[in-house]
Amino acid sequence: MRAMYLANYFVAGCIAFSLLGWVASLHPHAFRAVLCLLAATAIIWCLSWLLDFSLSSALKISVRDLQAYLIAAGAMFLVGLGVYLCT
Amino acid sequence: MHLKLFVLSASSVMLWLVPLAALDKTLEIHKALQGLSLTAAIACAVTAGNIAREQAEQNEIEEIKTRAITADVVDEIATSAYISQQQRQQEAEAILTSPVEDVEEARQALEAIYSNDSEETEVTTLATTNEPTALDKSLYAEICKSREVGKSSTWIIENILKMKGRKFAEGKEKLQTLLNKFDGEGKR
Repeated sequence: MRAMYLANYFVAGCIAFSLLGWVASLHPHAFRAVLCLLAATAIIWCLSWLLDFSLSSALKISVRDLQAYLIAAGAMFLVGLGVYLCT
Repeated sequence: MHLKLFVLSASSVMLWLVPLAALDKTLEIHKALQGLSLTAAIACAVTAGNIAREQAEQNEIEEIKTRAITADVVDEIATSAYISQQQRQQEAEAILTSPVEDVEEARQALEAIYSNDSEETEVTTLATTNEPTALDKSLYAEICKSREVGKSSTWIIENILKMKGRKFAEGKEKLQTLLNKFDGEGKR
């Protein structure tokens, strides 16, 4: 059951990234906005990897959990946008 | 609950993939439908995730309960075993540390019981003598009472004369002797 809820949240994240792609395809301004959002997200993601120990103590989670969340977020991004762009 | 969970999970995946693959992205209506289906897919996936998380938490609580009950039972068994062991140890210590007088008292009590038994056997043996004693009379009175009640000779031999098993034949003879002795006196 734990795997089930993790998988559902993962699918929800993937769909969110697909929705972001769909929003980006609506208008050139939306595209730029989404691009900025993704760039900001990518910067935060990279900083999180660099500052994982201090961030984990600030968020009161283990480093392993934080890394798992970051990997999951990266996978969601790849799968969600990949599905949107390939279909 | 499980059915709802699976339906929601499956519908979220279907609402995500099918409109993106089947509908045309250049048409405005199709695009709008894609947006709607993606939003619905997110809602379905999040709802399914919440349900699954609740189920997982409940399962964890049940597991914890089961483990606690098992631990309780084990603890109870261990405690009872410890208590019984302590009791036995205390009893053994009490026996070992008891004064000699108690042992002497117990011995005397046992001797008294044994002597009572031997007297009882003597009573039956005395009944065979020719002169009727007080014991013979009392035995005869009991025999008469038993006969009036309707007890059989076997019952009288076994319970009044106390001669069972191998001594049964001897008891039968004694009963006959007693009856002859007192019945004969009655006739005289």
